[in-house]
Amino acid sequence: MALFHLGLSTSGHDPALALVSETGEILFAEATERFVQDKRAWGVVPDHFNHLASALKMVGFDVARDRLRVATTWSRAKADLPVQMSGELLDIADANWVRELQADMHRMAGASLMRLGLTTEMPEARRFDHHLCHAVAACAFAPVEDAACLVIDGEGEVGAVSLFDLRARSLKRRWRSWGPGSLGALYSALTQLCGFDWRQGEEWKVMGLAAFGTVRPELRDALAAILEVDNGRLLLADHATITAMIARLRQASRAPSAPIMDAADLAASGQAAYAQLVDRMLADCTDKDVDTLILSGGCALNSSYNGTIAGRSGFDRLCVPPAPADDGNAIGAALLSYMETAGTTRIPQGDGSPYLGTPVDANRVGKLHHAQRSAHVTDLGADSAERLAACLAEGKIVGVMRGRAEFGPRALGNRSILADPRPAGMKDRVNAAVKGREPYRPFAPVICAEDLPDWFETPQSSPYMSLTLRWRAERAAQVPAVVHADGTGRLQSVTPDSTPWLHRVVRSFGAQTGVPVILNTSFNVMGKPIIHSVEDALSVFMTTGLDAVLIEDTLIEKTTPAA
Amino acid sequence: MSAVVDKNALIDSELFQFLRAQVVKRSRIPAESVTPDAALSDLGLQSIDAVLLCGEVESKFDVEIDPIEIFEHETVGDFVQTLLDRIGT
Repeated sequence: MALFHLGLSTSGHDPALALVSETGEILFAEATERFVQDKRAWGVVPDHFNHLASALKMVGFDVARDRLRVATTWSRAKADLPVQMSGELLDIADANWVRELQADMHRMAGASLMRLGLTTEMPEARRFDHHLCHAVAACAFAPVEDAACLVIDGEGEVGAVSLFDLRARSLKRRWRSWGPGSLGALYSALTQLCGFDWRQGEEWKVMGLAAFGTVRPELRDALAAILEVDNGRLLLADHATITAMIARLRQASRAPSAPIMDAADLAASGQAAYAQLVDRMLADCTDKDVDTLILSGGCALNSSYNGTIAGRSGFDRLCVPPAPADDGNAIGAALLSYMETAGTTRIPQGDGSPYLGTPVDANRVGKLHHAQRSAHVTDLGADSAERLAACLAEGKIVGVMRGRAEFGPRALGNRSILADPRPAGMKDRVNAAVKGREPYRPFAPVICAEDLPDWFETPQSSPYMSLTLRWRAERAAQVPAVVHADGTGRLQSVTPDSTPWLHRVVRSFGAQTGVPVILNTSFNVMGKPIIHSVEDALSVFMTTGLDAVLIEDTLIEKTTPAA
Repeated sequence: MSAVVDKNALIDSELFQFLRAQVVKRSRIPAESVTPDAALSDLGLQSIDAVLLCGEVESKFDVEIDPIEIFEHETVGDFVQTLLDRIGT
């Protein structure tokens, strides 16, 4: 009999489940949105029965013999506290909606164990502090003994920010902020003002748009005035100030139907306000005993800002986990359950792999030859990396589905669309052929870690695509499809140890073209989550302009080239 | 030690004095109304203020407080005593 720990992200949005072994190893982690193919999976239980059953089977859980301990990512239902704790900057209906969803997820956590036959009544779930889950999950991916660990989130049990000290891999909270002051909520409000929808997770669009705008001091200052930083903690300004500032910002806001570039200055000013506020917070978090900052919470997805932290704000090194937002918390809850059971405060350090999700179904791969009636099907065998690189060098856009899915919002080569970054028109081609997203939004580069100094001005490792860095000017011209309007790129750096196959692809592409950089974007179409099943991959292949898909080592190509 | 002495010690505690000042700041009632026997529900605090008051105490005295705790105590004295016990004062 073995004991497994099931961590459930119970925020009501971005549900996810994680499984940790009785020795503290992260066995599985995946967002529910992948399984149900519904972006952000609002209101779907994180222990969705079929998803959980599939995950348990994958990790070798024996229903007849093994036990499952359930843990959640909130210590309480948010609805127990006044709505003003979370609703001040958002539409009150949205705030109440999220609170009700979270209350349901919190209450329902573990109900699927009854369906599995593991229990006859609701299991008793272990409830863990939301920011502690963020911090533990982040530390599990950080290869350090000591650090400062800052969680900047949309919410928490009492506030949106917590600072922890990691010492000998044990965490102790230094402080947390109380009340509705929230950078996550401020960025959501900014997203709405820019004419996008935070409920769809469109904060990305604001960050990407910022590169096209000019910071207008009156807008930046109005946004920054909505929050105060007091000893690192975030406080919401008084109601009169908020009303006045929002009124000022509304004058620059964009209606969803208006041209996107109308919001560029507001986006740039918002990003500048964000940077100003986090700079102030970090100044209050420095610690002479540590040089590493571990950053987590939803705001740790702000890759533009992340790229500016190391070496500038009292920390020499930045670690951001692959899933810093609420989906990633499932790992934190599962690890905390393990630590509680094992009687240790020491956070296990994993191998850093983000490839923790569902593998490609081998049965489906075995049937791909059926596609021969409508496409070229080739087994690339052991040379798949080199032969894929050749396809890319020929200008083909290829969807790749190999191994286990990535955990977190980024496609890191196992559920990715790859292409040649050298043609200036490749960005528009990928958008027109496959992604269908706004033409201004950038695509990301993959680069070998050892090449970083040759290509970026301030090279930093970025294995999970967490950082945006500035290209060297002379290099940017060689890869225009992955250079953003402000001369930056949100890179994924790969090594032979962490990502051997993708490293080989990049190396081989470099050998064939002289440019060791590849365009990498997530394998999905706009509005849909990243693909989960072989059928999802083939559906995107057949209904878009993708030239080919590589499923494990089987390449499926369209029989006629794109017009 | 009599209950009266305990109550005086409680009133003299830095925690009680801090809490009293915070209540006065937030609800604008006279300081003398904030006694150990005063019902928390009679202090004129909005529920959001009660929660934020917990935060002020947590930051000042380096003791983690569950925000719901303030609603689980009837009087100011009960709440302060619980926190003093936790701090170990």
